[in-house]
Parts: sequence; structure tokens; C-alpha cells
Amino acid sequence: MKVWALVVDTWREALARYTLLGFVIVSSLFMLMLTFALNLDIVDGTLAAGSLFGRAFDLPGGTPIETVVTTGESAFAAMLYGLGIFLAVFATGSQVPNLVHRGTVDLYLSRPVSRPALLLGRFVGAVTLVLANLAFLCGGVFLIISLKTGVWNLRLLAAGGMIALVFCSYLGFMYLIGVLSGSTPLSIMLPYAIYVLAMPLAAHDHIAAVADSRLAAWTVHGLYWLLPKSVELGRDVVQLVMGKGELSVTALATTLVFGLGCLAAAVAVFQRRSY
Amino acid sequence: MVAATPGVRAWGPSGSENAGPNPPKAAYVVARVGEAVTVISVEEVSKEFRSWRRRVQALAGVSFEVRQGEAFGLLGANGAGKTTLVKILLGLAHPTSGRVTVRGMEPVRARARRRVGYLPEGHRFPGYLSGEAAMRLFGRLAGLDEATIGRRTRELLALVGLSDRGGDRISRYSKGMTQRLGLACALLDEPEVLFLDEPTDGVDPVGRRHIRDVLLDAKAAGTTIFINSHLLSEVERTCDRVAILHQGRLLREAGVDDLTHPSQRFRIRLEERQHAPLELLARFGAVTLDGHIEVAVPDLPTLNHLLDELRSQRLLIAEVTPQRAALEDVFIELVREERGA
Repeated sequence: MKVWALVVDTWREALARYTLLGFVIVSSLFMLMLTFALNLDIVDGTLAAGSLFGRAFDLPGGTPIETVVTTGESAFAAMLYGLGIFLAVFATGSQVPNLVHRGTVDLYLSRPVSRPALLLGRFVGAVTLVLANLAFLCGGVFLIISLKTGVWNLRLLAAGGMIALVFCSYLGFMYLIGVLSGSTPLSIMLPYAIYVLAMPLAAHDHIAAVADSRLAAWTVHGLYWLLPKSVELGRDVVQLVMGKGELSVTALATTLVFGLGCLAAAVAVFQRRSY
Repeated sequence: MVAATPGVRAWGPSGSENAGPNPPKAAYVVARVGEAVTVISVEEVSKEFRSWRRRVQALAGVSFEVRQGEAFGLLGANGAGKTTLVKILLGLAHPTSGRVTVRGMEPVRARARRRVGYLPEGHRFPGYLSGEAAMRLFGRLAGLDEATIGRRTRELLALVGLSDRGGDRISRYSKGMTQRLGLACALLDEPEVLFLDEPTDGVDPVGRRHIRDVLLDAKAAGTTIFINSHLLSEVERTCDRVAILHQGRLLREAGVDDLTHPSQRFRIRLEERQHAPLELLARFGAVTLDGHIEVAVPDLPTLNHLLDELRSQRLLIAEVTPQRAALEDVFIELVREERGA
């Protein structure tokens, strides 16, 4: 009941701040474009011709429609991985700073609800919000493409789930920053910072090999294993949709451990802090 | 346990006329003291705020108790530690040392905050909520069922005069309206203990009167009330006992009646159109004020000596009234003494 109240509160906040409406409008525009602007002529299971906004695009002759669909969907998934997480972080960045604001936190904490339940209730609310948006966009794109081509690539939906898991990890980090600093700008900027910082760390073996000290090499390796694996997971999302290559379970698992660790730390700090 | 049932006064122009049956303060206190059930216990509580640059001792070894059904006022200048202490009592802040209990439980436990109402100072309701939605949210967080939340929301919004604005967003409320909504939220789960931090902050005089009436009704219904306020006259009218904090230390804890007991200051009213000779008044250090004689005497024989002198001048004495010290005077006197020390 109490967690449900917090989930409803999170949705109400998203509605009032037009976050939800913004997501729905952007997603709907994208799906409308896909529905009406993309035309595909499929003959004997291959793409004979295609046009976007009335402009024909060239593809090697006799390309199987499955290849076209999985390539298009993987490009969409790659875009969603980068842009979707960016937008989701932006949309939920103010959640904890708003909660711990002086005068507001008193109202919530003086109720007979435990601090972990309060924080986790908001966390669940944010996750359901982002899941619903991902389901709307991924599900919509999946349906439109599948109905247009007859190719039902369920791996696109799995990629949506994987993106949601990666977002949960960043959300855990945002909660920690929010509880520690109470600052919305920091809660938004620092996840972007680690997203970018983690990119070169994908080449941690090469960087460590040229490091001028053992400490520097360990630091690089340590950061790599500690932070979310933004490059590997982006690649995995694309490979998942394409149905090719091996997925790196380690990358996903360590990214989730990072998020869980941050969330646990956020709960511990929130529990101990005086307001 | 505030029963906002028909019969409880409602917020509005006619509310102030309905004074309500409040029991006589002295009789009520005696009855409660007899029971001596401690609801709030503060034992040697200290709180130190630390940052990398400095340490601030907000509270230093504060101890007192509040009994069931009492209205207790916590007084102090800005920065005295009042709000910190209330937050510790609600589990919002943790003491550096010492122990507090509310109804025998440590307030950090969520269970201990059941049926405990709180109106924080400078509260900030989420502006995206309407008054009714805020009541629903905080009612759910208090663990109330939907039917109770609906009933209490209607009753309490009527009680604080927000029935017709309950559907409006809080961001459109005035400061006084949000304060009244805060009071309604604090009363939502029929609290046994009610904490109020500057409850009349930003409220106009009529609103202040209504808040006081609501609190007196709550007290009459047996709710223990704990008030932090700068408005000493409000505290004096509402509270049975007060504690005075100064720079984190407890200066005094006593009944309001004890603190404002009749002093050695008297007001003497003479028969109409009669005037005492100025040289006689000067001899006793007395002055005339609004047609009355005001005098401070060291003892009763001195007062009687003055009265004899007046009578010897063939002046008729119509009234001699001992003057009570205002709580504000007592407070300022205590703080001044402390600073002097």
C-alpha cells in the first residue's frame, strides 16, 4: 500500500511535469513516421524497393527481408540505448533531490514509513515509469515493423528489457548522488560523466599496458570493473537484436552490481542522515 | 485524537464565535498530573552538527518529559535548537548522544510514528499535488485505508476551511492556505501526539485564532500537543507547560501558571476623578498609567504602607490588582540572565 502510494506519486509527478507527456509525444511521432513515411516492397521474401518520406533508398539486390529488418531494428536499438538512457536520466534526475528538499523530506519522513521503503518506493516508481515508456516505444516499433514486413523479431523486445536493466543501474547511481548532494544538476551530470568515462575503459587492457606505473594500471582495471560497461552493453544490445555474436554476461552483471551497490549505499546514507 | 465530526467547529467567519467547551486549564492539568503518563521523554539529548570546517552544538544535555494530554511549548530564540529537538523526536534527525522516546518507542522506528502528527516549519508540499491528492498520499503513507482517507479528507479540509479549494494544485495556494493544509495533514490519522513547529507562521490573525481553537479542541479530546513557536502569546494561551531553550541548553521547564505567577507589581485604581499626589507616588517609585497607579514593591507591608498613605489623603481605593508577568517578559528575563552569566 505504501510502496504503491509512492509509485502513484512518482507517476503523478511525471504527469504534472509533462515528462510522461513528452515521452509519449516523441515516441508517438517516431512511430507515426515509421508507419506512414516508411514504405517497403517485399517480393519473395526479399526487399525489392523501399522509400522513406517518398525518397527511394538503395539496397543490394536480393537482400533477405529478415536481414533488412534486423539491421533496421538494431540501428533503432542502438539509438534507443544511447538516447533513451540519456532522456530517462534527464527525466528522473530530480526525483531524489526533490524528495530530500528541506520542508518536503519532513512531510514524508514523519509518516510511519521506513526510510528504505520510502526510497525504494520512489525507485520502483521511476523504474515502472521508464519501463512503461520503453514498452510503449519498443512494443510500438516492434508491432509496426512486424506488421509491415511479416518478420517478428522478438529479440527487439529483449533488447528493450536489457536497456531497462542498464537504466536501473544508472538510476541506482543517481539515487546515491541525490541522497549525498541533494542536487538535481549533479544527479543528472554525473551519470552522463560515468557513461562517457566508461567508454575508453573498454580498452582498459591496452591503456593499462602503456601505463607508466603499476598503480595507474590497477586504477584503470579497477575503474573498468567498477563502472557500468557502456560500450560493451551498447554492442550487446545491437548483437542481441541481430541475433549474432556472444553476449557479455559479465558486462551486464557487473553493471547491475554497480547499480545495486549504489542503491544499497543510497539507502544506507539515507537511513543514517539527519534532516 | 481530534474528532472532526459534526459539532467540531469549522474554519470560517462563524468559527471564531464558536468558542467550544474547553476545560479549565488548572483543573485539567491537575487531573493529568494525577495520571502522570509520560508520552514524550527526552533524556540528556545532545546534538552536534559537524562539517569539515566547524562543529555546531545544537543541543547540549537536554532532558524533560511531556505527559499525556498536555499542551507543551518549546520556546527559544532563533538557533536555540528547538526545531532540531522536534526533528529528533520525530526520528528525522539522530541525536549525537542521549535518548528520546515517544509513547515508549524510539521514534526512528516507523511504527513509533503511527498516530503522530507533525506540522513542520517551512513545509513544502509537492506543488504538483492538489490539496486532496496530498491528503490521499500522506494518508496512504500513514497506512490508512481508502475509505478512512476519503472521510478524513472531507472532514479536515472542511475544518481548516479548504473544502472548496481541495481540488486546486497546492502551487496555487497562499502561504496561509498551505499552513492550514499542513495542519489538516498533521491531523489525518487522528494523532495521539501532535508536533507543531511554528504553526501560525504566515497565518493572519483570524487564521491564528482558528488554529488555536483547533488545537484546543484536540487537547480537549486528549491529544498531547508539542508546540515550537516564537509567538509567546500563542504559547501562553495554548500550553500548560513550557521549556525554554537557549543555545541548545534547557534554561527552565515549568508550568505556564508558575512562570507567569503574580509578581510584586500591582495596579491600584482610585475612585473616579481622584488623583494621588505625585510626590507621594514618587516616594514609592509608583507611576500613573492610563489613570491607574502602577507600583512595584519589595513586599506586602510596603504595599500596605502605600495604601495607608493614600487613604490618609482621603483617597478612596476602588481596586488593587496583582499584575501577572507575561510569558514574553519571563522569557526575555531568563535569556538576559543567561547572557549575563
